[in-house]
Amino acid sequence: MTDLSTLSDEDFRAEVRRFIEQEYPPELRHPRHRLHWEQGRAWFKALRAKGWVAPGWPREYGGLGLNASQQIILIEEYERHGVARLPDHGIVMLGPLLIRFGTEAQRQRFLPRILAGEDIWCQGYSEPNAGSDLASLRTEAVLKGDHYVVNGQKIWTTLATDANWIFCLVRTDKTAKKQEGISFLLIDMKSPGVIVRPIINLALHDEFCEVFFDNVRVPRENLVGEPNKGWSMAKALLGFERIFLGSPRQSGYALARLKLLAERMGVFEDADFQDRYTRLRLDLEDHKALYETFVAMLRRGETLGPDVSMLKLHQAELFQRITELMLEIAGENAGLLEPMGGNGDLHPAGQFIEARPTTIYGGSSEIQRGILAKNVLELPG
Amino acid sequence: MEEDRAESIRMIRDSAAGIAPRGGDRRRIRELRFREPGYDPAMLRQMGEQGWIGLRVPEALGGAGLGLRELCALTEELGAALVPEPLIPAALSAVLLTAAEAEEPLQQMLSGETLLLTAWQEAPATLEAPGHAGAPRLFIPAAGGATGFLVPVAQDGRMALRLQQGGAGLTLERAQDGGFLGTLQPGEGKVIVADIGPALQDALDEAALATAAYLLGVMDQAFALTLDYLRTRQQFGRPIGSFQALQHRAADLKIQVALTRASIDSVAALIDRGDAPPAARRAAVSRAKARAADAALLVTRQAIQFHGGIGYTDEADIGLYLRKAMVLANAFGSAAFHRRRFAADAREDEA
Repeated sequence: MTDLSTLSDEDFRAEVRRFIEQEYPPELRHPRHRLHWEQGRAWFKALRAKGWVAPGWPREYGGLGLNASQQIILIEEYERHGVARLPDHGIVMLGPLLIRFGTEAQRQRFLPRILAGEDIWCQGYSEPNAGSDLASLRTEAVLKGDHYVVNGQKIWTTLATDANWIFCLVRTDKTAKKQEGISFLLIDMKSPGVIVRPIINLALHDEFCEVFFDNVRVPRENLVGEPNKGWSMAKALLGFERIFLGSPRQSGYALARLKLLAERMGVFEDADFQDRYTRLRLDLEDHKALYETFVAMLRRGETLGPDVSMLKLHQAELFQRITELMLEIAGENAGLLEPMGGNGDLHPAGQFIEARPTTIYGGSSEIQRGILAKNVLELPG
Repeated sequence: MEEDRAESIRMIRDSAAGIAPRGGDRRRIRELRFREPGYDPAMLRQMGEQGWIGLRVPEALGGAGLGLRELCALTEELGAALVPEPLIPAALSAVLLTAAEAEEPLQQMLSGETLLLTAWQEAPATLEAPGHAGAPRLFIPAAGGATGFLVPVAQDGRMALRLQQGGAGLTLERAQDGGFLGTLQPGEGKVIVADIGPALQDALDEAALATAAYLLGVMDQAFALTLDYLRTRQQFGRPIGSFQALQHRAADLKIQVALTRASIDSVAALIDRGDAPPAARRAAVSRAKARAADAALLVTRQAIQFHGGIGYTDEADIGLYLRKAMVLANAFGSAAFHRRRFAADAREDEA
C-alpha cells in the first residue's frame, strides 16, 4: 500500500478519484436514502481491500492516519461522486472515542471488528423526551455487581436494524446535575431485552429506529471512560465532522436538479424564475466560500468554534429553499409519490421531503440559532 | 337575508362535521392511502345523498342550489378532515352536466351511481383547457374510481363536451397523499353538448376556489394540531410553546391562515353576488388560490418543523397534512399561474 502521507494533496486527490471510479457501484451514486448495510456491502469490501475503512484513525489501530487536509479531500471527492454514507457510526464516532478515552483492552476488542465489518454500530443518544434537550435523557443504567442493568428507550437511532452493537448515553446518577450523571455504555444488541423497531419516515423509508431496553444486562467493562463523564466525552468528540453537516453538497445537488426541472417545465428562461434561481445560486456560491474558510481552519490544524453552527444552519435552510422552489414550479408533479419519468433524477416531491429533516437533525435550526446567539454573539439570557 | 345565509353555511359545516369531523381520527384516511382507487366509493355516494355533489346544481334539477360560500365552507371542512373522496372534481362535473343540459348523466352523478371526471388538463400548473382533441389529459384526481370522463374538445371555435364511458386509455400514478392521479388518452365519446361556452372556465374557477378552501381547512387543522403540540411538548423543563422564537413564528402563521380565510370568504361572496364582470371574477379566484397555495405549504412545512423529529415520521398525522398540501397546492393552477392570471385580469378589469 502506498504511504499516502507522502503524497501531495493533488496526487492524493487523483488517487481517491481513481479508486472511486474503479470501485464505487455507479447505481449507488446520489442515493435518495441512507443505504442499508447490505446495499453498501460491495463498497465496504472495496474499502476494506484497499485499507480505507477508517481514514481518520491512526495507523497503529488500522486506520489510514490521514491528516485533516487529506480527510477533507477524501470527503470532497466522495461528495462530488455522490458516494453514499455506509452505516459508519463505528468508524466515525465510536472508533475515535475509544482511541481517545477507551482502555487498551476495549480498543483491541472492538476496533478490529469495526474495520472487518463484523460489528456494525449505531448511536443511541436521543430519546422521546430528550431531543433538542439531549442532556435530560432518562435511559438509566444501574450497577448491580459486575453488570449494569439498562432500562429505557432511544429514538431516531439511525439504521439500528442493521447494527449489532449500540453505543449509548445512559443516566448513571440521577442525583447529579443533568449533564453530570451521564455515562457512555457499549451494548450488544443481541442481549436479551433489546428490541428494535424501525420508524417509517415521511419519505416512507426506514432509516430511523426506536430501540427499547428492558432490564438489559451489560458487563461493567463495557463502560467507556469514567462513570458520569459520558457527556463531556461525547461532546469532545463532536470534532471536525460537524463541518460536514454544513457541506454545500446537498444544496449543490439540489440546485442542479432545480435547473433541470425548470428546463423540463419550460420556465427556466422566465425572468421571475431566473431571478429566484440566481438568488439561490449566489447563496450557494457564498455558502461555499464561507465553508471554505472553515475548511481552511481545519487544514491549518485549528479547532472549530461554535460559529461552525452557521454552516449547518445556512446549508439546511438553503437546501430547503431550493426544494421549495422545485415544488412551486413542478405543477402537479409536486404531489407525485414516484420520481418524474425521463432523465435527470427529477423527483421534486421526494427532494422536498428529504430536505425537511435537515433543519431538525444534528441540532435543530432553533438550537443552532441559540448557540450562535449565546456562544458566538454572547447575548445575555 | 344575510342571516339566512349564515345559517345555511353553518348547517353545511355541521353536516360536514357529521360525516368527517375535523378532530376525528385519521385511521380511515390511512387505510385508504395508496390503495386504488384511493378513496371510499360508499362514502362518495353518501356525500351525493347529502346533496354535496349537486351543491351548485339548481334545485329544479335535483341539486341543492346553494352558493359558492356554502361550497367553500363545505370543502374547508373536508380539507380539515383530509377527506380523500373526490368531491370537488365530482361537483365540477355536475356543474358542467347542468350547463350541458345532460339530464340523465347528471341524475346518475347526483345519486352517486356514476362518477364522471372532467378530463380538461393538458399541461401542469394551469387552469386553462384548450381542448386539443388528441392531447393526453393529465393529473385527473381519483381517476381510478371514474366510470367515465367528460372531455372538452375544441371544434370550429366552439368547445364541445364529449362523454367517454369507461376507463380505456387511462393510466394511474400514485400521489403523496395516497390518492391516484390519472392520465387519459382521449378516445371515442359522445358529444353531449356542441358548445359549453364560458361555463367550462367558470366551473374550473369554482373548482379552483373550492380547492383553495380545501387547502384552508388543511392548513387550519395542521395549525391547530401544531398549537396543541407547542402547548404540551416539554423540553428544557417547559412547554416549547413558551419559547419566544417559536411564538413569533406561530403568530406569523396565524396571519397567513387569517389572510387566506378572508381572501376566500370575500371572493366567494363577490361571485355569489353575481354582478362582477368575468375578468374581475377570474382575478378574484386567482387571488384566493395563489394565497391558499403558498400559505398551505408554508403552514404545513412549518408544522413539521415545530413537531421536530416526530413530525418527520409517517405515523405522526401532521405529515398527512403536508402531503395533502403538496398534492393540492398546484392543482387547478399553481400560485405562479394564478399570480400571472391575476395581473392580466386585474388590468383588464381596471381598464
